[in-house]
Amino acid sequence: MSETMSSEEFIMLPVSIPPLPSFRVQATHYLYLRRNTPRLPTPDDSRSLYIANVPCDSTDPHFRALFSSLIGAGRFESITFEQDKKPSKSSHEPAQAVRLAGHRKRKRSEDEIQNAKDEAAAELPSTWTRQVYGSGSCAVALFADEKSAEHVLKAAKKLKKPKNYPVWGEGVKDKAPPLGSHWLKAHNKLSYPGNDIIQASMDAYFTVFNRKEKEAALLAMRLRNEPDEDGFVTVTRGGRAAPARRDEAEEAKQKMLEREKKKKDEMMDFYRFQMREKRKSEQAEMLKRFEEDKKKVRAMKEKRGKFRPET
Amino acid sequence: MSIMEAGTAKRRKLDHSNGYEAASSTLSTMGAAGASAFVLETEELLKEVKLDYSKTSSKVEDSLRQCKDIIESLESHEPLPINDVSAKFEKANRITIPYPDPKPAKDSPYKLSFEKPAQINVVGSWVLQTNIKSQPELTVDMIVIMPESIFQEKDYLNLRYFYKRAYYLAYITAQLRKSMGTTMDFTFDRLHGNMLLPTLIARPQDKSSPAIRIIPCAPEGYFPTTKLTAVSNAIRQGKSEETEDAKTPTPFYNTTLKAEGQFSSYLRLLYKTANSCAAFRDACVLGRIWLQQRGFNSSIQGGGFGHFEWAVLVALLLQGGGRKGEAVLSTSLHSTQLFKATLQYIASANLQKKLCVIGNDPPNLETLRQSMPILHDTARGVNVLYKMTPWSIALLSEQAKWSLSTINNSPLDQFETLFIVKAHQPLQMFDLLLNVNLPTSKEGFGAVDRKGLVWDFSAKLYNTLKRALDERAQLVHLQVPGTTAWPISGTPSKGKRNSVLVGIIIDPSKASQGRDHGPSHEQKEKAARFREFWGSKAELWQFPDGNIVESLDWTEYSYLGFPGICEAIIRYILKSRLQVSDADLEFHGREISKILPLAPSDKMAFDTARQAFEIFERDVRSLEDLPLHVKHISPISPDLRRASLRIPEFNFRKPLLQPMEVVISFEVSGKWPENLAAIQRAKIAFLLKIGSSLEEAKGEDIKAHLGLENATRDDENLAFLDVVYENGASFRLRVHSDLEESLLERQTKDQTVERHIRTESADLLAAYRRMYTNLPLHNQTVSTFCTRFPALSASIRLTKHWFNSHKLSCHFHEELIELFVLQAFLKPYPWETPCSAFTGFLRTLLLLSRWDWRDEPFVIDSSDSLSTSQRLEIGTRLQAWRKIDPNMNRTVLFVATSHDVTGVAYTQHNPSKVVATRMTSLARSACKVVKEKGVDTNIRSLFQPNLRDFDVLLHLSPKVLKSITRDEDSSTNRRSQFKNLDNNQAGGGKEALPLVESPVKTFLRWLQTAYASPLLFFHGGAADDYVIGALWNPLLHRRAFSVRAPYSLMKSPDNDNGVGEGEGDSGEEELYEVNKVAVLAEIARVGGDVIEKIEVRDG
Repeated sequence: MSETMSSEEFIMLPVSIPPLPSFRVQATHYLYLRRNTPRLPTPDDSRSLYIANVPCDSTDPHFRALFSSLIGAGRFESITFEQDKKPSKSSHEPAQAVRLAGHRKRKRSEDEIQNAKDEAAAELPSTWTRQVYGSGSCAVALFADEKSAEHVLKAAKKLKKPKNYPVWGEGVKDKAPPLGSHWLKAHNKLSYPGNDIIQASMDAYFTVFNRKEKEAALLAMRLRNEPDEDGFVTVTRGGRAAPARRDEAEEAKQKMLEREKKKKDEMMDFYRFQMREKRKSEQAEMLKRFEEDKKKVRAMKEKRGKFRPET
Repeated sequence: MSIMEAGTAKRRKLDHSNGYEAASSTLSTMGAAGASAFVLETEELLKEVKLDYSKTSSKVEDSLRQCKDIIESLESHEPLPINDVSAKFEKANRITIPYPDPKPAKDSPYKLSFEKPAQINVVGSWVLQTNIKSQPELTVDMIVIMPESIFQEKDYLNLRYFYKRAYYLAYITAQLRKSMGTTMDFTFDRLHGNMLLPTLIARPQDKSSPAIRIIPCAPEGYFPTTKLTAVSNAIRQGKSEETEDAKTPTPFYNTTLKAEGQFSSYLRLLYKTANSCAAFRDACVLGRIWLQQRGFNSSIQGGGFGHFEWAVLVALLLQGGGRKGEAVLSTSLHSTQLFKATLQYIASANLQKKLCVIGNDPPNLETLRQSMPILHDTARGVNVLYKMTPWSIALLSEQAKWSLSTINNSPLDQFETLFIVKAHQPLQMFDLLLNVNLPTSKEGFGAVDRKGLVWDFSAKLYNTLKRALDERAQLVHLQVPGTTAWPISGTPSKGKRNSVLVGIIIDPSKASQGRDHGPSHEQKEKAARFREFWGSKAELWQFPDGNIVESLDWTEYSYLGFPGICEAIIRYILKSRLQVSDADLEFHGREISKILPLAPSDKMAFDTARQAFEIFERDVRSLEDLPLHVKHISPISPDLRRASLRIPEFNFRKPLLQPMEVVISFEVSGKWPENLAAIQRAKIAFLLKIGSSLEEAKGEDIKAHLGLENATRDDENLAFLDVVYENGASFRLRVHSDLEESLLERQTKDQTVERHIRTESADLLAAYRRMYTNLPLHNQTVSTFCTRFPALSASIRLTKHWFNSHKLSCHFHEELIELFVLQAFLKPYPWETPCSAFTGFLRTLLLLSRWDWRDEPFVIDSSDSLSTSQRLEIGTRLQAWRKIDPNMNRTVLFVATSHDVTGVAYTQHNPSKVVATRMTSLARSACKVVKEKGVDTNIRSLFQPNLRDFDVLLHLSPKVLKSITRDEDSSTNRRSQFKNLDNNQAGGGKEALPLVESPVKTFLRWLQTAYASPLLFFHGGAADDYVIGALWNPLLHRRAFSVRAPYSLMKSPDNDNGVGEGEGDSGEEELYEVNKVAVLAEIARVGGDVIEKIEVRDG
């Protein structure tokens, strides 16, 4: 979908927000709906709606309640929030292996399912009871069938009078974890999941990590010896012996630079022309500084009051 | 051929050397590196301040000539008895003759006459053309030399000369008013606040030209100088006491009389010097500005050292003053050099104690001794400093020393502090300020010397305070109320403020001692004097080693810190020695302790925290089963560098709410995995290992909780370990891995990866450097300086409180505020290093108010290691930043330190331009109030936030917030909701979890991320600030619909009735804007019971 979509394609769905003790104002929030047409089509596109500008405290129960008030219960299946998609998740493999893996697709193994399970176990527990989204974010709602989605759009178009607007949060009750102090309090508790739970997660993580590392090493070794379709052999880090660590290489480079510098230093101030040039450059430097000072004073002069004693 | 060749070779050589010389000659005029900017700046300053004489001089000259003509045309009259003639004169002219006190007695036999003046002349700065624009009151001095014929030889005695002078002046006044009364206003004033010397001020009514001051004076050399030495008496009263009084010298009276005859000769001196030394005039102007910025002027209440004294000093030093009478200054010096050398002389001459004589044939030194500082000018036989007081000379030489240290220490920015900054600000300078009411009766203070009651009392006050405070005070200064001009028909009015302002700079290491030790019991004479001075307060004190000394006990005030102890001392001693009652004393700045309690016991709390850390460090280091060897354990918490606003108080029952942060680093190892995410997990494994080992080794004493950071990615730091000791101390440990840095660095520079990944890793790298490189170093720096500067810790805390009060702190890293304060201590110019919390705080504000962060870097060279080239480089870097980002969207404040020259380590993402501007304007207004109101400043108002500035106020519920933190202690009902917690906390019930961060902070962080674009939030950071202020972003305009607007949208209501909208297409395309009400409703929903009320301001 393109970012700068005109508003015509969207259908506005006003939602009435009841006043709260801390903010006694009746507000109206506007959702913007349209059929979901992602860049990479999926089979579910026809029965899903793209929703822009969802409220930040949205949850599945909220939307379930909202849509059942619009078109009746049982039509809404699920909702995916854009922000729930993890941002960039860095790879767990050593950097080198990733690049190599790009060359050849790894063979599918029977362990794949087991691996996925392991990786899930390696995840750290969340520290929040409930995700809260940024203002004005987007989501995709999935319905039972294409007709339901159509109904929703029609129902939204029909809404004209404010008293008919669906009410946000009606019928959610305790299906969603509470916000406010409970939410903050729970966050503090969830931040300390307990040492043994983390320990278990760590164990799982390093099982996965070690396996991947081994695989990567094997792959790298194989690549070193195998020519590809064009007959080229990929050159990889390390020789017959163990691959050199990067910091060692950097250290060696540092040493080389130092040696070169020392050599250079010895030849400084050796010839007369060097001395002369040095002196000249010093003079030029001083004159330059003088010019800079002048410039500075000129700049000060431009600002008012810099040369006026304060009273 | 060969000759030719040699010639060309020679020529080449010569040419070369010529070029070299030419270049070096331009260099030599510039002086040493850095000085040239100063020279250029002063030249610019001189151009700016110099008065344009051509504009006004013709007008002034006209009035001067007019005055002269009138005075010369006056009729003389015969000598007549003083009482008759003055009564008749006063009745006829309705002018009160300004006789000095005491007025001539009813039966005095003196006779007054009038004769034409011997000479009328214009003297002073007007003639020298050294006036400046910013002078508070510009006057042209005209002297009227009275003829010898109206005086008698003995007139130097008993004020007789001064009576005649007053009559002479009144006589002139009468005539002048008659002829010029329509264009001029006439008032009487005292010359330099000297009650012996009334003068006439003629001010043009249209204020188009400066006022004219008419000063009658004595014929040159008329009075015998031998009778008017500093030790002779010239006021004899009452025959019975004659023998007694004859011994009491009247140096002030004598010198005043001598100076009366020297106006013309000083004018000649200055004029001659100005002709022989080209830079003299400029040096005088520089001196005048310097003195004026420090509140000095020629009058007695202005310290008795003004432009005239400065000019005379420079002129004298151009002739002599050296050790063997040689000239100290050379006429070929540049004005800045003359200025600096004169300062050097003032600073080093030790005028407070030493007697200085300039000129040939010095008289017997014994005849010069007096209580005033002495700089005797032999050629004219006058003590140039006779109007000075012991405190003003102390302050003057102190100021000169401070200015010299500016010149010597910071060649880059000496100019502003020397000439531009107003240094005469009591609140910025003194640690302790009090008003002492003047006594109403003369009893006990009536000295023979005619300086006035105020001065006699002040001198006693000064001596008493100085002796009583002794080492506790570095400097005691008195500000005596000045005199004002009075109408010619009236009598001088009493000043409004009838009290003396005492300012004290304390010695922070000694001022809060509880006990004073006097002389030993055996030193009979000294001990007796000690007892005499202190009275009943003195007591004998025996040391454990057997020494018995006189001592004073003030320990009952110790808990109040230095203000309390010094106040007690001052109250006691003034009551017992000068009979000043408590009601006559008013101490300023007592509100500070109500704003932020700064008790001496705070130091102990920080010490305890530090000791707890040392125990923790030892415990960790002694663990043997860690896979790597521990290299450093560095504290990074403000509690551990004496800089936290709240003192770290903890005990067995009440543990520390939030653990103190610490970073641990291990020896270099190749075992770290070469992958960022894996490193983070390895760190967690390390923390778990440390936790379990600690618990194992220490048993019940220690509880370790592994906590998760609120991380959104898996390659940033994921976890920390909170170690809670039984005694209440707790620490938050994070692991440092050096491989992380090099991996991030590589990723940041890697051109092959996508751009957004590079920016992300640059951010991660910055966060990494802050946590593991900068904070440990910063912690070390600040704690070192907190030991070196006793007032630093309290100043930092007070400044943090200010940032909190104005709800700015959520935009500043704490360490940045600490750096601001540290800079005020490292670069205290134009003053000395602050000695108390409040001066440190005010100077920080002054620093912030003067910092133009748009194009000035803030350079803190704490280790004195930055070279000139590095400083230049910092400047260049700032310019580069401004070139890339001229609107300052990313980097606003540029702060470089000696261990971080990049300038952005402390200000990576905040504060934004709006916040920085707000900081500057708040600091400016605070400084303005302090400068204008002085000691009357309402200190509380400096800390009062203006909530009306915000569009929206979120009032948080203190009760609910407290319950969030309190429930952590012993909640039982909630726990069951989270099964996993109960399972692993074997003990269950009583175990308390530490606080990850204060709930307000968590909530605020959510607000800031969710509403980064439409709203800007302000909060004080501290847990006890229950109001969050917010501003709508003024740059959010109505715009076309977009799916990914970063805030809640609604159709702009103007669309429907937008007939007159300038844009013609308003009908075609609908515009959308922020749905403010919905946004606030969202906040209310998420905040739930945490928010008590959302207040929206109209407009």
